[in-house]
Amino acid sequence: MSSALKLVALSSLLAFSLASQSLPPDAAEAADLNVNSRYTIESINFVDQHEYKLSTSALDEIRHLVGAKVSTEALDRLAQRIRGELRAHDVTFKLARGLNPESVRVLIQVDHAGGSFNAGVPNLSYNSAVGFTGTGELSSTIGPNAFTFRMLRDSDTLIERLSGVQAKYERALSANGRIRLGFEFDGYEDQYAPSTLAALDAPHSSSLGVGAYGSRLNYEPSATFVLAAPLTLTVGLSFEQLNGLPMAARSESAHAVINSLRYRQRWATSGDSTQELDAGYSLRAATTVLASDLAYTRHVAHLKYNYSSRTQSVEVKMIAGAIYGQAPLFERFALGDSTLLRGWNKYELDPLGGNRLAYGSVTYGYHMMRVFYDTGSVWDQGKSPEVKESAGIGVSSGLGVFEKGAFLVALAFPLGQTHVTPVLIAGMNF
Amino acid sequence: MPILNRVRKPAALALFLSLELAGMTVPSTGLLPHHVAGEIHVTAPTLHFLTGKSLSRLHDGAAVPFDFQLIIASGSKNNVVARSLERFMVSYDVWEEKFSVVRVRDFRRSGMRLSASSAESWCLDNIVVPAAALPPGQQLWARLEIRSAESKEPLAATSGINLATLIEIFSRPSRPEQDRWSIESAAFQLADLKQQ
Repeated sequence: MSSALKLVALSSLLAFSLASQSLPPDAAEAADLNVNSRYTIESINFVDQHEYKLSTSALDEIRHLVGAKVSTEALDRLAQRIRGELRAHDVTFKLARGLNPESVRVLIQVDHAGGSFNAGVPNLSYNSAVGFTGTGELSSTIGPNAFTFRMLRDSDTLIERLSGVQAKYERALSANGRIRLGFEFDGYEDQYAPSTLAALDAPHSSSLGVGAYGSRLNYEPSATFVLAAPLTLTVGLSFEQLNGLPMAARSESAHAVINSLRYRQRWATSGDSTQELDAGYSLRAATTVLASDLAYTRHVAHLKYNYSSRTQSVEVKMIAGAIYGQAPLFERFALGDSTLLRGWNKYELDPLGGNRLAYGSVTYGYHMMRVFYDTGSVWDQGKSPEVKESAGIGVSSGLGVFEKGAFLVALAFPLGQTHVTPVLIAGMNF
Repeated sequence: MPILNRVRKPAALALFLSLELAGMTVPSTGLLPHHVAGEIHVTAPTLHFLTGKSLSRLHDGAAVPFDFQLIIASGSKNNVVARSLERFMVSYDVWEEKFSVVRVRDFRRSGMRLSASSAESWCLDNIVVPAAALPPGQQLWARLEIRSAESKEPLAATSGINLATLIEIFSRPSRPEQDRWSIESAAFQLADLKQQ
């Protein structure tokens, strides 16, 4: 640049008449200049309704923000923490009107545009009555596409003991995740407790659709719609093939229409306490219209409510279920595992499960200590339900619904028995 | 001049070059200067900056900073004789569905419960240059530049901004994620301006 040009530039600067000569930085720094800072945060949720697991400290941060006034700086800090924990490309938040005037909902948007890859153990547990259950998971998110691959062994949830793989692909059709399409493939090898095999050999309930199968394959396309956050509806089809049947050595199918309606919300009544509600209804209807060998409908409704403050927590859980028609073993209800009617052995209660279920549970927590009371019954239609009860005591880092790394070690006892054998339950995220 | 204490020489050269480049933009005559109580104000009825990505962020409840630069040139469009810089923090009340604007260097000056066009006008009303700085009897041009601040910039940093930073912001090209507007007046003389 020539010296003449430099001179012109300098003279231009000298000629500047600045309406404001100083901008005091300190005065404005302390203030949140967002007009929404006068509103109270009613809840903090993820836009895409995904069930992200966060660390205890991140959940504590959320707990403290809920019930407080909107602070852009604090929300930015939370977004950065979540971005780090979820290894997301970006995490942003937006505000929406709350249920009450003067309150707002914070919706967190997780952007995996850069792609992410995670490996973990979503759950691991031991139950001295039924054995080990565990899942290893690899997941990857690339843009709107989410891939999940799991290897699992489950002795806990069903009457059958299964080991196998689950592979799932999900794609968000809209940026806010209001519509998601998914496809899942499951392949399992099945084993049975001796008491289950003995019960199958004996004359048993006519409501059981098919006997013991050696393996099971499931192909499940589905679509999830966020009706009104956090209320979601999932609809789809399940093409289930049951192989390795001992009698005719042929396979049976249980092709079903699946629907589930779910509401899951977390909010605060004050800065120190939070409430969580998880409620849902699911229907599986196997029908000959889908070329299914078995025809039945399975209804399940559940409700879980949790209140927790800094030192205490209460969780109430209720489940009701009914099956009409002839359903295979994997659809039948069971109680007496690591989460339902803890302290009982499901194979002793009913080795074939039942087609009716009623269950309730209350857990009280004080710091890390937990005590719980479970009650419920599994029975077959036309028979009288026999109500069972159990109680237990243990230690836990949380109730596990939203928490990453939550663990529980507990001793559970069946009640109303002359001979009491305690059941040891230990594990994480179950 | 205090400005010389704040601006380093390379920044001044960069600023000059950016002004040269800005001068290459297609001129528009949508900027209307007025003389009000010894200050030059501008209005721009055709300019709307609460649009696009910035408006989406505002509707999501974020506070979006906008940087304003008002320049008066004399003789030629590159001979800048007066200049004013301001940052305005705009936010949108998710309940009242109204805009709020705060002038960052003096956040006691604010406009509340405004429509989008009123919020835009409020910003323009609050950026002025003193008429005394303008040479009488010469041809003048006014140019207004507006930039939305980057979304990644922490709010604490944006609210504590100083004058040197604003000068530096306008001395460099805008980034793709930033919204940017520029508008110019037709040539005028100080004596021609309607006194209000």
